Amino acid sequence: MLHINGLVCRYGKVEALKGVTLSIGQGQLVALIGANGAGKSTTLRAISGILPSAAGRITFDGHDITKCSAREILGKGIAHCPEGRRVFPDMTVDENLDMGAYLRTDRREIAADRERIFGMFPRLAERRHQVAGTLSGGEQQMLAIGRAIMSKPRLMMFDEPSLGLAPNIVEQVFSIIDGIRKAGTTVLMVEQNAYSALEMCDYAYLLETGSIVLSGSGKDLIDDEHVRSAYLGG
Amino acid sequence: MTELLQHIVNTLILGSTYALLGIGLTLIFGIMRVVNFAHGELYSFGAYALYFVGVMLGLNFFLALIVAVVLGCFAGALIEVVLLRPMRGADIDTTMLVMIGAMIVMQNGEQFVWGGVAKSVSTPFPELPLVIGSISVSWLRLFVFCAALALIGVSYLLINRTKLGKAMRATFQDRDAASLMGVNIQFIYMATFAIGSSLAAAAGALLGPVYVISPQMGNLASLKAFAIVILGGLGSIGGATIGGFLLALAEELGAGYVSSGYRDAMGFLIIIVVLLFKPTGLFARAERIG
Repeated sequence: MLHINGLVCRYGKVEALKGVTLSIGQGQLVALIGANGAGKSTTLRAISGILPSAAGRITFDGHDITKCSAREILGKGIAHCPEGRRVFPDMTVDENLDMGAYLRTDRREIAADRERIFGMFPRLAERRHQVAGTLSGGEQQMLAIGRAIMSKPRLMMFDEPSLGLAPNIVEQVFSIIDGIRKAGTTVLMVEQNAYSALEMCDYAYLLETGSIVLSGSGKDLIDDEHVRSAYLGG
Repeated sequence: MTELLQHIVNTLILGSTYALLGIGLTLIFGIMRVVNFAHGELYSFGAYALYFVGVMLGLNFFLALIVAVVLGCFAGALIEVVLLRPMRGADIDTTMLVMIGAMIVMQNGEQFVWGGVAKSVSTPFPELPLVIGSISVSWLRLFVFCAALALIGVSYLLINRTKLGKAMRATFQDRDAASLMGVNIQFIYMATFAIGSSLAAAAGALLGPVYVISPQMGNLASLKAFAIVILGGLGSIGGATIGGFLLALAEELGAGYVSSGYRDAMGFLIIIVVLLFKPTGLFARAERIG
């Protein structure tokens, strides 16, 4: 479904990605793990078109999207749920969800999707007229996920969805992501919480200083000596 | 007492147009981080557009007003695309200098095209003022007040109720997240500058017939717009509205009870006092627009 070939990205002179190659199949949940600064977020930012790539090729459903704008890429069905949630703090929950559906024009289905999201996250329904900046971290993460769902994506990318959340909420977030995949949406997830990510994914890539150094099923990576010592705490 | 009431009536009328100026400037700064020194030139552009369409082409006064606002909108969009778009990513000082350049060019352009002699625009309103008790208001000023209030209302609705307004607020709050939602940031910038400019042009077209139209009229308008925005807090439309009325009140009271020579000094006095005691402005909530 999504293929990345030799992707290179730079911040100024610093090469953040040095030729990343990876593939995601339809309906899969793929995890991208690695340390801080390895280039995980950069990869997602390049896929979603908010960061231009210096070299390489990204194709989605066979179409080259390397040079597409963020708007075009979203329109093709890739949603990006960014690191740190990034909800619009001074907009209400409802308005944030409206922004998720920004490119859509099918009013009736938008309304139905909104209700579906409120069904998934009853806390958001209770707070629909509250501004997002006043929500708790967990609620903001739910809103960020709901907002991404509102664009009706076929591929959803999550950047550190568990970051800064209480352990019970983390578990909830992971089960939501699992549910999204089970409902048929392909998922690419970047996660520092490597163990949980590897446990739930179909396939995983390990990124180190801008290059993919290892890939395999989640179980393969969990069993790998290097992954165990460097990312799973022994 | 009568005198005070008269001052308050004058404040409301003047303040409504100041609010228009301030809202335009605060939108542009809030969303685009551009310090628009050419804002006052769009104010005079609006006044000259009214003169051109209403007096030289002889169009009906009210229609000419609308045309002037629309032309202001187009002028703003043009400035954004030609001057600001290539400067995207440049730091705030650079765009500030570019806008100062634009101001100089526009002002001298006006002088070149229209000459230095002030123009006046006649209006269809009766000469005799409306007198209620001991207060008198000219019909023209009353109209200016109503039209300005209507435009302020339209700006609120635009920002708070429309899809474009929502996208503008989203861009203001988190530009990257907004572009992930599919917002075309380039278009939002152009729309913001166009809307801000059309509000300035509207203020100019409304006040042009009240005073006279001259190439220098934009200077004071720019400075006053900055005073209003500093007073209300950058990026706050509500703040700019209240700031506009407060500046008008200060000017009216300063002119009425201190000396009419100090009228225009009041704005600067306010800037100094606000910056000394509350540098974020009176109504600024961090990072908020709307």
